[in-house]
Amino acid sequence: MALKRSARRGDAEGGLSITSMMDMMTIILVFLLKSYSTDDISVAASDDLILPVSTTRVTPQLAVNLVVTKSLVVVDGVEVLRLTEEADEDNPGELLTAVPGDEKKGQLITRLYDRLLEKAEDAKQLAEMTQSDEHEFKGRILLQCDKSLPFSVIREVMYTAGQAQFSEFRFVVYSGAD
Amino acid sequence: MADRKRLLLQAEEINLVPIMNLVTILIPFILMAASFVSLAVIDSTLPAIGQPQQVEQDPDDKPPLMLSLLVTDRGITVAGADAVLFPEGAPELAEGEERPPTLPCPGTSCSSLEDYDFLELTRILGQIKDEYPDDENVILVPESRVSYELIVKVMDHSREDVDTKNADGTSRTLFPFVVIAGGAE
Repeated sequence: MALKRSARRGDAEGGLSITSMMDMMTIILVFLLKSYSTDDISVAASDDLILPVSTTRVTPQLAVNLVVTKSLVVVDGVEVLRLTEEADEDNPGELLTAVPGDEKKGQLITRLYDRLLEKAEDAKQLAEMTQSDEHEFKGRILLQCDKSLPFSVIREVMYTAGQAQFSEFRFVVYSGAD
Repeated sequence: MADRKRLLLQAEEINLVPIMNLVTILIPFILMAASFVSLAVIDSTLPAIGQPQQVEQDPDDKPPLMLSLLVTDRGITVAGADAVLFPEGAPELAEGEERPPTLPCPGTSCSSLEDYDFLELTRILGQIKDEYPDDENVILVPESRVSYELIVKVMDHSREDVDTKNADGTSRTLFPFVVIAGGAE
């Protein structure tokens, strides 16, 4: 009876109470504001790129971004080459991610080298034009690599970057405990 | 009298709809910029290329530490610190015999990260750090097939000992500067 009466009263007023909705929105807004990120870099997480977890607490700074997924090598968002899967000689029947043989000269990945050299030259030109310490070319490179990649691929990528004047590596990882 | 009171109450209600609109627009924007995982970086450099510099050494001085960690699928070998690890001299090896890993895997090889004894690695590196407190470099020599995740784990455990705390509550620093070398085949 009381329920009927209150329902009738609600109809008569004809309004919708949005206070509880407003409370919910405020809570969501506060939560999102707390997780608002102003990091210089971002990771496009996918099945092909899962970064390892590390205990380091050094925050990343902006630099040339080299991403090595299970299938691609990307420099600053532009695809440079595709990786292949080759038979592992030491473990018959198993496949190992590798840089295609025709993309390499010894350990140097030629297409990646050309792209990184361009980046290094651009960074140097910018430093020359601005004459500021902030833009000085320090040979820093951010490396985002999938955690399952074999060291052979990372070694070739590092060697190539080193040849293209990038010798300070910053391995990007997820921050967290073991 | 009652009608007047009701009217007064109705007049006091704030119109929340514009605020609601504002919040609804703000949420997608903030959602795009929100990060639910925090990123960090591990610094590393390439090994220096060139002739080794000749440093004159006092015969009374301790031999310099050339700490290297060889990471293979058979285990982790701590090299360059024999003076600490084997104070009475390193065990003799037969000709052609390969030195067994300092931290061998259970069985013939490690199939997962859990098979590696990282706690013992940290303990050994802590022991070396006691003898060489000023040394901060470690050379990492991973095998070609070793996964990147394992390399990061070894770097973590050689950088700091999270179980031993300093007076200020921070973890004990071991060898924070990691140089990644070419790698064992």
